[in-house]
Amino acid sequence: MSADSTDRFEDSSAAQQQFLSLFLRSEREIFRYVAALVPNMTDAEDIVQQTAMALWQKFDDYDPAQPFTPWACRFALNKTRQWIERRQRWQALLNRGLAEELAQRREELQPELEQRLRRLETCLRKLPQSRRSLVEGYYYERAGIEKLAERSGRTAAATYKMLQRIRHNLQLCVESQANPEAA
Amino acid sequence: MTLAFPSPEYDDVVAAVCHGTATEAEMSALNELLRSNPDARDEYLMRVEVHSRLASEPDLFPQVTDAAAPSRVPETGFSESRNVFHAKPRMQKSTRTRGRLLALAACLALIAAGTRGLWVRGVAAGKGTTSNAIAMLTRSVDAQWGRSTQPLRPGSALGPERLRLESGLAQVVFYSGARVVMEGPAELQLISPSEAFCPAGRLLAEVPGPARGFRLKTTQLDVVDFGTSFGIDAMHGRTELDVFKGKVEFSGGTAAKQPLREGRAALVQGSAPPQLMAAHPEAFTAMFELEERSQSSEAIRLEQWRIASAWLDRDPSLVVHLDLEGHSGSDWTLRNAADKNQSVQDATIVGCHRAEGRWLEKQALEFQSVNDRVRLAVPGNFESLTLAAWVRVQGLDRQFNSVFMCDGFEPGAIHWLIRNDGVLSLTVKGPGSRNSEIVASPPVLTLDKFGMWTHLAAVIDGKTRKVVHYVNGLPVASHTLRLGPPFRIGSAELGNWNAESGPNPAPSLIRNLSGSLDEFELFSRALTDTEVHDLYTEGKPQLEP
Repeated sequence: MSADSTDRFEDSSAAQQQFLSLFLRSEREIFRYVAALVPNMTDAEDIVQQTAMALWQKFDDYDPAQPFTPWACRFALNKTRQWIERRQRWQALLNRGLAEELAQRREELQPELEQRLRRLETCLRKLPQSRRSLVEGYYYERAGIEKLAERSGRTAAATYKMLQRIRHNLQLCVESQANPEAA
Repeated sequence: MTLAFPSPEYDDVVAAVCHGTATEAEMSALNELLRSNPDARDEYLMRVEVHSRLASEPDLFPQVTDAAAPSRVPETGFSESRNVFHAKPRMQKSTRTRGRLLALAACLALIAAGTRGLWVRGVAAGKGTTSNAIAMLTRSVDAQWGRSTQPLRPGSALGPERLRLESGLAQVVFYSGARVVMEGPAELQLISPSEAFCPAGRLLAEVPGPARGFRLKTTQLDVVDFGTSFGIDAMHGRTELDVFKGKVEFSGGTAAKQPLREGRAALVQGSAPPQLMAAHPEAFTAMFELEERSQSSEAIRLEQWRIASAWLDRDPSLVVHLDLEGHSGSDWTLRNAADKNQSVQDATIVGCHRAEGRWLEKQALEFQSVNDRVRLAVPGNFESLTLAAWVRVQGLDRQFNSVFMCDGFEPGAIHWLIRNDGVLSLTVKGPGSRNSEIVASPPVLTLDKFGMWTHLAAVIDGKTRKVVHYVNGLPVASHTLRLGPPFRIGSAELGNWNAESGPNPAPSLIRNLSGSLDEFELFSRALTDTEVHDLYTEGKPQLEP
């Protein structure tokens, strides 16, 4: 065992704490980066988790002078690539360079996305109660679609459709709000 | 299939991708479109962003549970009301996220724990935590893996696969909680979180209570475990089973299922009936030592608690969190670790000894003499409160033994204490001089709990006026108050009481605790049963009951 690996062990708890605090601060950002490629929540979370393990294993290489999130996102892109290799369906979506293109374009659009989505909370509050509780059930409680369907007395397909419609309305709302005249 | 943009089909496919329900044909078509049409691509990114924000920003979901809700809308003063309205759901959210985080932290800790003598730089990263993982390699010593097995290292997640250990020792922890140590040469086929097959080799299995029913097969034997430790020595045509602790049930050869008790062994050769004899643990010494050599389970628990604790510190309703971490013997202050509240900077230690906490490396404070106390001041009025502490009571020497008591008898003050008969008592002081209410539990801190780390909590819900006492995460008493909020803490003490009664106080006013304290939390809201139980679970000394 080399000297620095000893240090690594002796210091593991401090290093871990430092790592976790950096990671926790960036986690949502990393999640959204991954979700731009693999939007399904549980899959994206799975990839984020794998990314965390990879980041921790390479944490010695991290230069604290550099921002953590972009460093982490490079790993996230790699992990996403590895993850889709084993999943034909997602390969179909992301192959022929689309994964890289989406990641890059999202970065370019970032300021605009930020600005528009600043209004998301206000727009959510404007939703009728029943719709808001569906969004909350799906995204916040992470209740399964069957459960949500049962709660609202809809079919699962109709529940998905309703979520799609709500997101559409939210998007219209944030876009109108992002327009300075409308604000 | 081809997609046009804009079109209802495009809308549906994008939504299906978000929901994880899109077919391969739909995904192919979308790929085609997004690569050729920049507008469709940008719109796609925007839609996915709305979706991923909703999925990743719990703060977007305030629980409007109060009539005053509309006042939250103006941006000014929003952060104030946020504390109130977000508090509850945030905690629920954090409970869920914390579970996930715990898993992550445990993985990190396992990697760290496994680095003792094993950390090899530049080794290809172990397999990630795949969704089909059923176990994890947690430890190994001089392990040489067979060629057919890809490089394994502590922390590697294991799916249903065959492990070939040529030499050395390795420990596999199944997700059911069962631990199997292998001594090379040995093979182990992992089947499920609670089942494995050993064609050849020596193994030591430790099965804690929750993993009861763990099943291990060899070519001769089928062993079902009932919460024990047992060894297997399997080779072609012959298996020996040794039970070191507890009881197993096995079937082998032509014989029917039969139990095998602690200290006994069974040898099965060919189709002959099992031959019974005394167990000989000496054959498994090396594997027992691997267990003993390592204190990492304790270290892992501490790490898990630290992570859960760091997460908890972000709860906006957490007013005080004394985790007793990182203070030195000469340091007389305890830092308040609650991130979101600056009203209480720290607490002051008066007297007290440093003691070992719930884990070897965790600090605690021991209260013995009438001087020992931790003082703090918590400004403000509270509608609801939750108090929680990890204590190890040594004895109940006084008539009233303070856990956390506000100084004197001010209106709205809280006295949380243990009576000498083991009753948990919470006194809420009303406005008048003789006006107070006491909520007492049955005697719960009985002799058998002395010397053990115990989690105590008391919840005062100002809305429903309900007070609940908890011991180790479970409610033990509940009572509805006549008195209502606001409740006040002001100056208060842990482990003692400042009765503000002048010199020579009456014996009933001396209320110092005899025991140790390893963590204290004060929340400005009423935690639910589940949340209190989570606090207990995340802080309990061992994972197993």
